[in-house]
Amino acid sequence: MHRYFRRLFFLAALCATGLASAAGPDCSRPLTLALHEHGLLYSQSTGTGIDKDFADELIRRSGCKITVTVMQRARIWQLIESGALDFSLSGITNEARDKYAAFAWYFANKYYLLVRSDARVQQVADFENDAKLQLGAIRGFRYSRNANHLVDRLNAERRVSYSSGLEPLYAVLASNRIQGMIIEPFDYSQITGSSIRDFTKIVDTHDDPVPHGLIMSKRAIAAGEQQKWRDLVDGMRADGTTLRIFEKYFSPDLARAMVNF
Amino acid sequence: MKWLRQQLPLLLLLAVSLGVSYLLWRHEQENAATTMQAELDAELRNASASITQRLVAYEQMLRGVQGLFAATGSVGRKEFRAYVDALQLGADFAGIEGVGIALLVPTAQKSAHVAALREQGFPDYAIRPDGEREHYAPIVQVEPFIGENRHVLGFDPFAAGPRRAAMEQARDSGNAAITAKTRLITQAAGDDGAGFVMFLPIYKDGSPHDSVEARRASLIGWVFAPLEMNSLMASLYGEAVLATDLRIYDGVTPSEHTLMYRRAAAGDMQENAQKNAPESAPFEATEYLQIAGHPWTLVVGMLPGFAARGGVDKSQLIGVSGIGLSLLLALLVWQQRTGRRRAIALARHMTQELRESETRFRRMAQYDTLTEVPNRALFSDRLRQAITHARRDQTRLALLYIDLDSFKPINDTFGHHAGDQVLREAARRMQDCVRESDTVGRIGGDEFAVLLNIVEDEHDAFAVAEKIRQSLNAPLALEGNRVSSISSSIGIAIYPEHGSDDAQLSRNADDAMYSAKALGRNNAQFCSLKS
Repeated sequence: MHRYFRRLFFLAALCATGLASAAGPDCSRPLTLALHEHGLLYSQSTGTGIDKDFADELIRRSGCKITVTVMQRARIWQLIESGALDFSLSGITNEARDKYAAFAWYFANKYYLLVRSDARVQQVADFENDAKLQLGAIRGFRYSRNANHLVDRLNAERRVSYSSGLEPLYAVLASNRIQGMIIEPFDYSQITGSSIRDFTKIVDTHDDPVPHGLIMSKRAIAAGEQQKWRDLVDGMRADGTTLRIFEKYFSPDLARAMVNF
Repeated sequence: MKWLRQQLPLLLLLAVSLGVSYLLWRHEQENAATTMQAELDAELRNASASITQRLVAYEQMLRGVQGLFAATGSVGRKEFRAYVDALQLGADFAGIEGVGIALLVPTAQKSAHVAALREQGFPDYAIRPDGEREHYAPIVQVEPFIGENRHVLGFDPFAAGPRRAAMEQARDSGNAAITAKTRLITQAAGDDGAGFVMFLPIYKDGSPHDSVEARRASLIGWVFAPLEMNSLMASLYGEAVLATDLRIYDGVTPSEHTLMYRRAAAGDMQENAQKNAPESAPFEATEYLQIAGHPWTLVVGMLPGFAARGGVDKSQLIGVSGIGLSLLLALLVWQQRTGRRRAIALARHMTQELRESETRFRRMAQYDTLTEVPNRALFSDRLRQAITHARRDQTRLALLYIDLDSFKPINDTFGHHAGDQVLREAARRMQDCVRESDTVGRIGGDEFAVLLNIVEDEHDAFAVAEKIRQSLNAPLALEGNRVSSISSSIGIAIYPEHGSDDAQLSRNADDAMYSAKALGRNNAQFCSLKS
């Protein structure tokens, strides 16, 4: 009996998914999606990255005409809020963003503090309490709880240098004008594959992994449509497509840890 | 120490009010600093947003050319010119020196390429710099084809340097890429302005370019725009905030070498700002821009006039008023605390002065100011009292009238000053001749009277009179080593024999004195009345 109901439920769920995908998202107008340059998420110099792969697959599955552009993260949030931009990728939420953006989660990761070894920082508090240390941050970025606390407090003390992208921050870190920055696993390859590794170390923020997802402008995408896009994203996770994309860039263990949150 | 203890509350009050003023001053200073930093941050964000958007607009414009190739496969010289003309690159695209095409030419096709261009009406066309390279990317067309742009045909930006790096980046990414700070080839000899070039790749129509390898394989050239930094920024910052110093550096290391643009200040502040602007202003905001894959550093600094501009910093006013009010408060409290004490001291001082002046006036009213013996009024009073006592006690008293003989000639001969000296000395000698209870008085110019309160008989009185007379006879030293001598005529009246009241007694003593004068002066005579 119990098994019968479970089978029935499975069939019903399958039908529902089938119906949803059959309906698909509304493609009656050209849509817009913005990428931002950030480590393995997207590199403008190679034109590749996780977000690019994810966007390509999402576009393919949706069957919609989506124009992909590259812009600064702060501008992306501004345009999402105004409704001038429909989508972006790898976004995290907070109270303010929830008001104008909807999300479809597909991975989670932790944030870390990358510090210069000569700054003698063992934990996040050491960085916070040493008034000489300057932090680099990307304009428009938010992080996990402890990392946000660090950035906000240092910003109030005028100890944060902002950048529109990640690349300049590495150079400034190397020149010792900043001594730390918040990083994500997407940034590991740049760090380990360059001289940055020689003079830095990674400090744990002791925050939980933060879900990242497809960002949808609430002004541009109606609630019903949002659910259709969410279904597409969930479908990519369910059939292993998302994991395969992440495995292109990370070790299988890390890829699984990020996708199976 | 005692003073310090007494003033301790006052000093504490002063310390507290100065302390509060200090805290307010610090608070306002911090507020002002935060406000100024926030304004600088806002200015910086505005600047970075404007620059980014402007460059996105340039990129978009180049994408138009890219689209033209995608749409038509190959673009003729005439079509490209018409297209660029249609873009109407006016003030909105200030800084663009032109839009051009650099075609990728493999070594094998170099000769054919040069020949084709020469045939198209450019007989001097050649690829510069010369030399053998695997690929060439000579500029084959620049629009508008005027001025210095005429001389760039054939220049190969792919040969080396920052242009090649940007072209490779654009080729591999499929996106726009800009060069590092560079000198534009169209730039005039004396022009030191910085420039950069934006490149966008053109791929063969229809061929895949979804990987680096595919993009490299399908590349046919680049569309590019050389940009002049000063013109670009001038058109962006028409309404810049005064008293800020905006600098843009190529890369992330600010230095004179990497400086691409500097707006020291606007309007009339420019000169002042350039004089005073330190390389690193006290308040600065820095932001790093990633533009078309290339980093720039934006620095907005505060110039000396920035704080005064909106009256942001009121800390000085608060500091000065705080000190002033604290001192005023301390002064008021000090006045209140010491007011009563000072009022009592003042009242005591005034009472003392009043008493002294009363005493002085009383003395002036009763004593002769020259000889300091009782005057006629006091003498008469004492005489009346003495008569009353004598009457009650049935005792006797004597009244002596003494006139200095020949006093007038002394005055006339030696002057009033000498006369005064004689009178003072005469009075002193008379006092020396009587008891302390007796009274010597000056009752007129050279007339004295002596009251002997108690006498046994006439002899007593006469003896005193004689003593006085002889004492006055002694030589008298005057100023200027001069010596004088005087004599006296003395009249004596005894109570009750020669009068029962002061008037009668005085009259009789006076008569006796005239008798003595009549008898040749320098003697003493009793009243002629017989008792």
